[in-house]
Amino acid sequence: MKQSLQRIVFAAAALAVSAMPSLAADVKVALVPGGPHPYFANWEQGGKDAVKDFGIKAADYRVPAKWELGLQNQMIENLTAQGYNAFLIFPGDPVATNSPMADLQAANIPSIATAGCTKDPSPALFCFGTDTGHSAYLGAKELIKTMGGKGTIVHFTGNLVDPNTQLRMDAVAQAVAESNGGIKLLQTIADIDRTPQEADEKINALLAARGKDIDGIITSAWLPAVSSATALRRIGDKRIKMVGIDHDQVVLKAIKDGFVHGTMLQNPYGQAYIGSYVMSEIIGHGCKVNDKAPFKSNALTARFIDSGTGFQGSDGVDDFQNTMKAVTAELMKTFKATYLICP
Amino acid sequence: MNLIRNALRADSLGLLLVVLIGGAALSLARPEFLTAYNIDVILVGFSLTVIYALGQGVIIAIGHMNLALGATGCLVAVAFGGSMQVWGLPVWAAMLFGLLIGTFCGFLNGWLTHKSGLTSFIITLATLSIFKGISLGITQAQPFYGVADSVKAFGSDRWGPLPETLLVALPIVIGVALFLGKMIPGRQMLAFGGNPNAAELSGISRARMVILAHTLSGLLAAIAGMMSVARLQLASPAIGDEWLIASFAAPVIGGAVLSGGHLSVVGTCLGVLIVSLINQALVMLAVDPFYVQVMLGALILGAVGLNRLRESRLGNAPVLRLS
Amino acid sequence: MNVTALSTSSRPSPPAGEREPAAKNRALSGFLGSNIFGLIIAIAVFVLLFGLFANGFLSKVNIYSISRSIGINGVIGLAMMTVLVTGGLNLGLGAIAVCSAMVVGWSLQNLGLGIAPSLMIGVLAGAALGAVNGLIVVTTRLHSFVVTLATMSIFFGTMILLSGAQGFNALPRVMTTFGRIRMYGVVSPLLLIMLLVAAILYYIYRYTAFGREMLAAGANPFAAKLSGLPVERLFVWCHALCGAIGAIAGVMASVRNGAVVPSMAGPLGADWLLPAFLAPVLGGTLLTGGSVSVIGAILGTIFVEIITSGLYMLQIGEFWIQTALGLVLLGAILLERGRAAMALQRSTRR
Repeated sequence: MKQSLQRIVFAAAALAVSAMPSLAADVKVALVPGGPHPYFANWEQGGKDAVKDFGIKAADYRVPAKWELGLQNQMIENLTAQGYNAFLIFPGDPVATNSPMADLQAANIPSIATAGCTKDPSPALFCFGTDTGHSAYLGAKELIKTMGGKGTIVHFTGNLVDPNTQLRMDAVAQAVAESNGGIKLLQTIADIDRTPQEADEKINALLAARGKDIDGIITSAWLPAVSSATALRRIGDKRIKMVGIDHDQVVLKAIKDGFVHGTMLQNPYGQAYIGSYVMSEIIGHGCKVNDKAPFKSNALTARFIDSGTGFQGSDGVDDFQNTMKAVTAELMKTFKATYLICP
Repeated sequence: MNLIRNALRADSLGLLLVVLIGGAALSLARPEFLTAYNIDVILVGFSLTVIYALGQGVIIAIGHMNLALGATGCLVAVAFGGSMQVWGLPVWAAMLFGLLIGTFCGFLNGWLTHKSGLTSFIITLATLSIFKGISLGITQAQPFYGVADSVKAFGSDRWGPLPETLLVALPIVIGVALFLGKMIPGRQMLAFGGNPNAAELSGISRARMVILAHTLSGLLAAIAGMMSVARLQLASPAIGDEWLIASFAAPVIGGAVLSGGHLSVVGTCLGVLIVSLINQALVMLAVDPFYVQVMLGALILGAVGLNRLRESRLGNAPVLRLS
Repeated sequence: MNVTALSTSSRPSPPAGEREPAAKNRALSGFLGSNIFGLIIAIAVFVLLFGLFANGFLSKVNIYSISRSIGINGVIGLAMMTVLVTGGLNLGLGAIAVCSAMVVGWSLQNLGLGIAPSLMIGVLAGAALGAVNGLIVVTTRLHSFVVTLATMSIFFGTMILLSGAQGFNALPRVMTTFGRIRMYGVVSPLLLIMLLVAAILYYIYRYTAFGREMLAAGANPFAAKLSGLPVERLFVWCHALCGAIGAIAGVMASVRNGAVVPSMAGPLGADWLLPAFLAPVLGGTLLTGGSVSVIGAILGTIFVEIITSGLYMLQIGEFWIQTALGLVLLGAILLERGRAAMALQRSTRR
């Protein structure tokens, strides 16, 4: 009784949130990325499929018009006022996004840090996404393998204000260190995931200056991967090996044509689909997250669930989406039993 | 030969020296700086940047600003790519479509600014939002990949030692220089920028000047937008995002006065080269990524400061220009 | 040859009410024709429209969130306004704000100083960085655009270098709970801080010799210099003031975020440029210098925040929201301009 009273008080504070949500039909999930970016496009489909499969009211993909922390925070507040009662959020900042999540928590609205993690202690139920450092590490390992464990590599990565960038740089450094001196990291270029032109100019400048000395490229951000793939196609001799990230058409086509060795896929579709499923179970069926579940740990959080990452080489590159759907189905089989406690 | 005379004018000479000394130092430190591939990289970047820098420059010349420059370029890029991919337009038709859109965007900025009597800052801020929003709305933040092969080839191919993009940029640079230096509407624009009231009294139409400058700016933004598509091989709605500050920086480093009346085309070109040289140096000298931003700022300040120092030695620095 | 740069008289003149102080006998008609009055009307109209048609716009959650945004963005706008006075600008406002906030976080967390001294150090740091800008501008006589473009990169880069892009997330509870206080259920205390900053600025520009000297120096540096004002020193003060207020904005945003993070204003702090310029310019501050409107800047912020929030509530679809925002902004200012022109016409016809 006391608890439900408390709930009502919270709900009154949030006003638009219904007092005692109890049916899956009342679950309204907002999928909020950090800003417009092709990576998140598959969230939309994941949300739609979740609505179809789990009978929830909505799982809407709502994108802030710009990559701005303030704008994303404002939008989350805004969506709360519109009656959304569950949030999958890509943290605009691992630390600062805890603040809107805490606001949500105070209004009894659950949130999951999706596709990227928030830093502990976090009000998020858990973090569900790609382990950015691990993915960069695996990518670098794959690159080193195809180079035969010898040679010089360069690393193109994201923006330094994003702490994930440091994790990626550390991960690549670790993979290089494990090569026992066979691999040398010539240079890291950061801050080139803002606009395509910037990435294009800096990457080409480096390839022009040091191209002869470079045997391999690892990229750990979307735009640098696209620009590097385009640059390697332009050079055309296929001498430099590259492992990219994500599933931009340009990168996939370059893999198919042999200019790029492979890419580290992530699973945005599954993030949205499974994340919405969790929300429907928690709000609609009264489930709770199992605190004793076998969560993984990464540099940001001890409550991390891997949404699946994998190396995609030239084999089966055309149906990479089926690959990710298969990974999602595999995760779904055991997800409830592993991570949720249901009445 | 206006160009040569312009180049020898004091304010550009200093910048030229900065570029030459910087280039020489860099090629000594890194001989690869002078390889054909690298020169190609610099020139391709230059071709693109100089066009949108001049797009801002013609607006600065009349004492206005065009915050919507990048958004115009973006909208044109998206329209150019989209009309090829979705409507299957041939390249020439898509280009025409792009040019029309850019010119119209510019015209709209000029017309609204003139009709409202408001500062162009507010008007172009509003249109920035509109143009950018349309680009995002059409694309849903996804790039158009269906760019024709001939367009892609244009972005990568060379004509002799020069990238093909430069062959488009050079005539445009010369055209703008001639327009502002020799042709009556161009000279009128500068006169109007220097002192709008006096210009009006001598019979120059305010409406014509404002609309002309903004339309020209839209046209240049359109060309730069389509050139970006050719270079990047895709039409991304992120094109133009970094143009704003860069488009002001090059003309201002080149000696333009933000309140209008003065624009050096050669200075603008040198401004573009200085910034790109600095960026090149930071990449080529393998500067630690955490130091890159600091060095970038320090070098920009150093380059323009050196030029200013030289000017004041020669005694032709402005007596008091505080703003 | 650069005399033109200084002649503010040749710029298109704004309606009478923008320049304060307006002559007293024309005060009323000036007010009716001013964009302050126009902004008040526009705000009233949009509150009404969104209240009627945008579901949830008048909910407590939303009003609270609007009040918080107005608080932070208002201070950002006021900071830029203090440097617009010189006819220059400060591209590095966001960078200075983030750097100062990081200094506050460092002082709290690493030096273990109390809240009051830490805030003091932060504001001083902001003022110092601003003063560096000002000093470079007056000694080199370069345009503040180029100077602040360069220093923005230097300040922000140094901060990233020193901090390793790691923020400070163990702010004292007092600060984080302060950010969550809801006065009367709908008002954020950040709004009150903004009003306090505005009141101080209003007082300075209106009633102190220092404020009037800054305005005079900005309006016409030549004339001010001839009449014996220390123009250079005044300009350095303007830049320092901008830095100090920027620091306050940085701390406010950190309080809102519950942590000091380097990414709060985007790469190089450039995300803040839009609100920084938009509010004062909408409010009637001239980019050519020498004029301010504190009240206008606040109303400008309120106007922008209200239409932004309202449009989100209408659920137009996020990708189109920017277009709608631009259209509404454009429509509103054009209507406002038409109305002001009519009001002025009527008053001059007497």
